Amino acid sequence: MLTHALDIVTSAGILYVVALGLLIIFGVLKIINLAHSAFLAIGGYVAVVATEFHVSLWYAIPIALIIGIVIGAILEATVLRPLYARPLDTILATWGISIVVVQLITLIFGRETQFAASPITGAISIGDITYSEYRIILLGLALVLGAIMVFLFQATELGLSARAVIMNEGLAQAMGINTRFVRFFTFCAGAALATMAGALITPLVSIEPNMGLPWLINAFMLVLVAGSSVISLGWATLGLGGAQVLVSTFINPIIGGLTIIVLSVLVLRARKTL
Amino acid sequence: MDLAAWSPDTPRRLSVAKVLALTACGIGVILISSALLGVYDAQILSQAFFFAVVAIAVDLQWGYTGILSWGQSAFFGIGVYGVAIASAHYGGGAPIAILGATIAAALAAFVAGGAGWLSFWDGAPPFFVAIVTFAIPVVFTQVILSGGTYTGASSGLPFPTPNLAPWQWYRISGCLLVLVAIAAYVFTKSDAGRILVAIRENEDRCRYLGIRTARWKIGLMAACAVLSAVAGTLYAEYATVAATSYGDFVFGTELVIWTALGGRGTLIGPILGTIFINYISAVLGGSLPFLWLLIIGLIFVFVVIYLPSGFYPFLQQWASRRLPIPGRPFRGLLSSPQPEASGRPAGTDTRSLSPSLPAARGSMPRALAERAVVLHIREVQKSYGSLHVLRNISFDIHRGEVVGIVGPNGAGKTTLVRCISDGREYSAGDIAVSGRSTRSLSAQECVSLGVGRKFQTPSVFDALSVADCLHIARSFRKPPSLWRSGSHLALPLPALRIAELTGLFSQLHVPASHLAHGTKQALELAMVLALEPTILLLDEPTAGLTRAERTAVGSLLAVLAKEHNISVLLIEHDVDFVRTVCDRLVVLHMGEILLDGTVSDVVESEVVRSVYLGEAVGGT
Repeated sequence: MLTHALDIVTSAGILYVVALGLLIIFGVLKIINLAHSAFLAIGGYVAVVATEFHVSLWYAIPIALIIGIVIGAILEATVLRPLYARPLDTILATWGISIVVVQLITLIFGRETQFAASPITGAISIGDITYSEYRIILLGLALVLGAIMVFLFQATELGLSARAVIMNEGLAQAMGINTRFVRFFTFCAGAALATMAGALITPLVSIEPNMGLPWLINAFMLVLVAGSSVISLGWATLGLGGAQVLVSTFINPIIGGLTIIVLSVLVLRARKTL
Repeated sequence: MDLAAWSPDTPRRLSVAKVLALTACGIGVILISSALLGVYDAQILSQAFFFAVVAIAVDLQWGYTGILSWGQSAFFGIGVYGVAIASAHYGGGAPIAILGATIAAALAAFVAGGAGWLSFWDGAPPFFVAIVTFAIPVVFTQVILSGGTYTGASSGLPFPTPNLAPWQWYRISGCLLVLVAIAAYVFTKSDAGRILVAIRENEDRCRYLGIRTARWKIGLMAACAVLSAVAGTLYAEYATVAATSYGDFVFGTELVIWTALGGRGTLIGPILGTIFINYISAVLGGSLPFLWLLIIGLIFVFVVIYLPSGFYPFLQQWASRRLPIPGRPFRGLLSSPQPEASGRPAGTDTRSLSPSLPAARGSMPRALAERAVVLHIREVQKSYGSLHVLRNISFDIHRGEVVGIVGPNGAGKTTLVRCISDGREYSAGDIAVSGRSTRSLSAQECVSLGVGRKFQTPSVFDALSVADCLHIARSFRKPPSLWRSGSHLALPLPALRIAELTGLFSQLHVPASHLAHGTKQALELAMVLALEPTILLLDEPTAGLTRAERTAVGSLLAVLAKEHNISVLLIEHDVDFVRTVCDRLVVLHMGEILLDGTVSDVVESEVVRSVYLGEAVGGT
């Protein structure tokens, strides 16, 4: 029982970390960033390189974050900026970016599965069960990240600008908010959160060029259900991620893998708003 | 209602002879080339031809209708597995394979229809269908992988197939492609195809023209799913083994990429794009598979940013600039099509175009009380949670009456018009049009009860010609043909009159986007009048018009009301205009009716003066 409860909350935490970058890009920029999966893969391969050089994952994570910011900055300026007037086309362009990144990774590292050393392999005892320490740490990290995001959005001037852009971009621009900078910053932050998440999940998944794909669609559905709120994303990951864990455990892992997609589409259809 | 009709010489009209000639040409090319090709080329091209059929399905949905379907591969995969499972488990042979194919096609239609139903609710953002269709191949792959030996799981499902030579497959796939391409061509040129483009251009306008856009889109998705599944069933026989890669997400995105590179919204572009990329992939892919994909990805990003309509339209424009076709006048990229020389199309029955009407209708001194109530509004309320935007709105509009709604900004004028034109908008009370309640009826159903709504800013179909826009407006009266392109446009007299007065007839083949602001307004009004409404809703019809145009609009409304007995409800700020045009005014303030009376009642009212008109009245 306790194991299941821990599975649910830690899975929700992992999903939260993975979906957060997507959420802020969707929330502020109103675009669907299909390159998210490629960003996750970049983070994963940063961890692989770190392992090769015998560097701990804890150092790989900030490096992944910085790489994410740089890549985000380059892509925002070259690819996304010309497309803000055509939001539907950003779906295509970000998918194109994803292909390019995945093929570059394949050319450099090859197609085969790679492994990254986990900084923590132990388990901790909670009551009479033992549980993966890394998953618990990820859950804690998800809570910390969520808190940082809430703080950024609610208590800083940049967050206020971002919220203004979310609500009414035209008006925000008219009020003198530099929407161009808000977009640039948001895309960099979203990309960085994605590469960091990619590095963070490496102890739990196998690393290959397409490693981000299975996460992409689930993350997307969670973001659509959550809207543009970092707090609702927490509830969405807990509810839908929890359903996924329960279905995988008690019914069938393959159906479990489809739980989030199917439930989200039904929720969105019934709610009739995004 | 009296209809006047004419047959404009529509350039888009397709003749049977042309279609047959095209088909014969295409099949001829396939048959001749099959004798010339090597085995390897025939094999690669056969596969490319099957994929091109699916690319056509993607293009019909995305290029023509604006439905971005990432998941077309899943329907192809359903076709592949339908045949594979039937042949592998229930005995080989044609009848079993055909049965499997039929079941697969039905399943594909069902899944696509379901996805459409999930994607198209009123107010769904256009990207939502892309997300839902994104999920279909994922579900498909998981289902196949969990099927064990029944579906072959990850190792694929081999099954007995007829052993045909590569050139035979080349002919089969080639002829299939030619037939599908020609059918798609005829379809896109038909009345129904025109509606698809109208949906892409302006879905809201379509809805308020009575077109059930969600139904059209769901139907199109189901039809395209069947087409893809059929291509899949034949491809299965060619491939001899079913694998998840034929229905997975990657293949789905590839189809979108081929369509985008070739040129969405043209049929030939995606076909050539698919064949070209598949051929090059087969040649280069063996030696440099990842590099080739990388190049495709880079080109794709480039095309999306700088060449969004794709390569084919680009090459076409480039060619037409470099080599003007002899015999045809050179046309620059920016020049608009030449308007017709004569003001009126040839063969028009001038009698029916003239504004004169049966004399009996000309003079009708009618007391309001004697006239039928066309619009009956009782205690209508519109609330968002505890916020009441409209409260206790009750009034009637009679046949042929012109009623103005006035009130300060935020009084609820536009909300009221929305409630009248869409029965699902109001929260309480009742609205009846010609005695029939609109409660919880969709905008389309309200149109069929006789509500015609003109938006404030001109809302037409920019990519379509004036004649096509008018055709679309008539389509809810008569179900449009899936293969024929109507050259016969029948308009009710009021619409005809507007068209004649504003010179629309001289611009029938001009794209709506090239019209001047005032003419666009006139076109939209003509489109709404083509619905034969009993009540016409106008939101600030004089906004942005010159004084002369205002006077023209005023006299036009008088003619519609007095001669054609159409009731008019208009929102207006211009008191002078209201005074000359309206029979009655309804003053809204803070979501409630402040006053309902004749123009002089309202203008002289102290209350109205104080809340809204203020000193303006004294000034006029």
